[in-house]
Amino acid sequence: MKVKAKYFFLMPGVIWVLLFTLFPLIYSLYLSTTNFRLGRDPQFVGLANYARILNLDGGGGDEKAASTAGFSVILVIGSTTLTIVFGTAVAWVFNHDLPLLRQMRAVLTMPLFAAPVAVGFLGVIIFNEANGPVNNILQGLGLGRVNWITDPLAARAAVLLTDVWQWTPFVFIIVLAAMQAIPDDLYESARLDTKNNISLFRYITLPLIAPAMGTVVLLRLVETIKILDIPVTLTRGGPGSVTQTYNFYIYETGLRGSFQLGTASALSWLVVIVAIIISSLYFWRVRARFE
Amino acid sequence: MNKQTITSSKRLLALVLMIALLLAVGAAQVTAQEQTFFGKTAQELFPIPGVAADEQEQRLAFEALLRANLPDGREFGEGKTLTFGVLGQGSRGGISGTIYFWRNAFEAATGARLEIVEIPYNELGTTIPADFLTGQYTYDVFIGAAWQYGDWISNGWIQPIDRFFGDPRFPAWDINDVAPAFAALMQWEGQTYGTTNDGDAQLFYYRYDVLNDPEWQAAFEAEMGYPLPNPPTTWQQLLAVTSFFNGKDWNRDGDPDDGISLHLAPGGQGHFHYATLAASFAVTPAEGDDPRAVTKFDNVFWFDPETMEPLINQPGHVRALEFLKELAATGQRAQLGWQLGEAWDNFLGGNAIATFSWGDVGSLSQDVNRSRIKGNLGASAILCSEEWYDRELGQFVTDSENPNCVGNTTGGSWHPTMSAFTDTPELAYYMMAMLANPSINFYNATTGWQGIDPSSAYQLYPPRGTASPEDYAAVGFDLGDMERYINAYGANVFDKPTYLTYLRIPGTLEYIQETLDIRLSEAMTDQLTPQEALDATARDWNRITDELGREEQLAIYQAAIGFNP
Repeated sequence: MKVKAKYFFLMPGVIWVLLFTLFPLIYSLYLSTTNFRLGRDPQFVGLANYARILNLDGGGGDEKAASTAGFSVILVIGSTTLTIVFGTAVAWVFNHDLPLLRQMRAVLTMPLFAAPVAVGFLGVIIFNEANGPVNNILQGLGLGRVNWITDPLAARAAVLLTDVWQWTPFVFIIVLAAMQAIPDDLYESARLDTKNNISLFRYITLPLIAPAMGTVVLLRLVETIKILDIPVTLTRGGPGSVTQTYNFYIYETGLRGSFQLGTASALSWLVVIVAIIISSLYFWRVRARFE
Repeated sequence: MNKQTITSSKRLLALVLMIALLLAVGAAQVTAQEQTFFGKTAQELFPIPGVAADEQEQRLAFEALLRANLPDGREFGEGKTLTFGVLGQGSRGGISGTIYFWRNAFEAATGARLEIVEIPYNELGTTIPADFLTGQYTYDVFIGAAWQYGDWISNGWIQPIDRFFGDPRFPAWDINDVAPAFAALMQWEGQTYGTTNDGDAQLFYYRYDVLNDPEWQAAFEAEMGYPLPNPPTTWQQLLAVTSFFNGKDWNRDGDPDDGISLHLAPGGQGHFHYATLAASFAVTPAEGDDPRAVTKFDNVFWFDPETMEPLINQPGHVRALEFLKELAATGQRAQLGWQLGEAWDNFLGGNAIATFSWGDVGSLSQDVNRSRIKGNLGASAILCSEEWYDRELGQFVTDSENPNCVGNTTGGSWHPTMSAFTDTPELAYYMMAMLANPSINFYNATTGWQGIDPSSAYQLYPPRGTASPEDYAAVGFDLGDMERYINAYGANVFDKPTYLTYLRIPGTLEYIQETLDIRLSEAMTDQLTPQEALDATARDWNRITDELGREEQLAIYQAAIGFNP
């Protein structure tokens, strides 16, 4: 009776995983080996979709997959690095006794609670080329205006900066928590040897917040790989398609107009593989360090 | 009778007439106040706020509704629900706003409930096909763009409506009132699938006051060495005009102003600008009696009608794209990232000397909440080109005396179609016909905010139509603006020797929005040269055609453009 009850209570979870995790995963793997377009019968094409995306088919490959993947890599590296640097720097400031710290902390974390779509639309206003506040400030400082939406390089920077603006508070909160967990007596002991704040940060703070930062790096990497909302709303992938991310391209391929679900599934599986590699490397490093 | 008696008689007559007039006005007001539509008052049908913006809008809408003389639809509508899918821009936005506006009236006349489902522009190609392909069949009626007909008809998603024509159970409208260029977009192989609502064609707009200012005319002549073309009739003349005015403070606001105002962001419908302009660079009319006849070389723009090989990278197209870049350079750089509304607002705000766009600009220019140019609007049929590519000759032709003129119906011409799977076809048709009723459709096209453009004879002045200046004066429009705008619209839709063929084959959205639109943006922002961008487009198009089946696509393309192999 006890054994049966155990299975009974496990069943919902098992069904959930089978239906909503395993089945879509396996079905999408099957789709990735077909030329399926919604409304048309799928035909098995083996690994042809993967070969085209990875430019192994001798036919010129999928030019757009390569370019969007390139921008995604730029975003992943750029956004992760900048959010870590800014978030840690702000956390370090807030780890000191300053007036109005609590209020400022609440204000600083606000972007984190906005939907990325809303942040993207906010970016449309902020980076408006004719009347946006960023350009007005730059103009006021005598630096001239930047074509944030219509210049390929500046548009990429606008997407990157918007993502950094939204996610810096996330890094800030976690790193600040890690900093506050460091016992004061460690600093007090260290201050007997040095009064240099940089040395204290480098030899006390940084090693002790490293595990938390590792987690943050992993989460930021995975989060940035998935980015879609901000380029969709801020630049609509333009000018041309320079701010289309890889995920944007998957969305366009599979869910807009052409419904090429076979190709979109193959594109998605490649992201899954990359995400698995990144997280495996991370956990391997963590195990190597702490075991 | 002496002079005094005559004067007294005249006074008496004037007094009697005045009293009669006052009585008539009073009676009319009482009648209007007492009149109801299926038991509902104007306030109940068009409440302020909620539906109508103000009393004038409420009154004009109610009068239009009464004039429509709608029949009782409760026989087939009572207790039912009609689901209406529509391009979504909110309850006071373009296209969808119309459906919200007339919802109460429809419900009163039919006893049915109208459920409105808004579909964002960028999801049009996803939501409706996904609904049908997955067997949901959510919508009884939906308003999409005419370019989607290829997908809808080849998949059997919409049904013909000819069987309802002339049936007195439904609101009256006549497809013969619709301009032939627009009626053709609602038909496929001899059957009608849609009812008229919005007629999209791009025409040319300019600042009438500035181009007619003797000071500016003299300044132009002094700088350019020849008189100001007023208004420009060719693209080349337009470029000269916008180049001259760009950067000058011609509106006297203290800042430099623009020559042209365009919307060229990816996803911002900039590809319509390209198609409108490129038509006269790349399309040649047929020789002989019918200049609109489609042959292998004439009146084709998108694909070779014998092979389905893309024509988009032909020399005429490349020159047109180069020209579009030159023209865009006579306006703000920011317009490369503008959506439709931003380009309109720049022109309506009095900051650009010219634009070419849909009829919305004409009606929006009369809305003083949005426009600063009421009374100063100039309009003409879309421009011709002094230079074009003749594919049959394999060379460019240059002729400034007899330029190449190609009209267009670019745009969605957003109109309702009926789902093949609706279980309430009568109710669905009632709603479609109600929107197409001349009284209601005329009113809609005068509001501006509804995004409904003229499509029919009753909206045009004679000799092309039956409208009169009083019709437009009644809704508060400037008669000078209307004289220019309405006549330009008529000339644009009726008078061009030939027209750009409308692309409406399966995958149109993929060909245009997902490839051409992106490549155009890449060219406009100097990521690719025009030739490279259009070569890339041609490659993309060949891939799409092969994926969709070249033979099937070719057959549908030939049917869509009227080509007989």
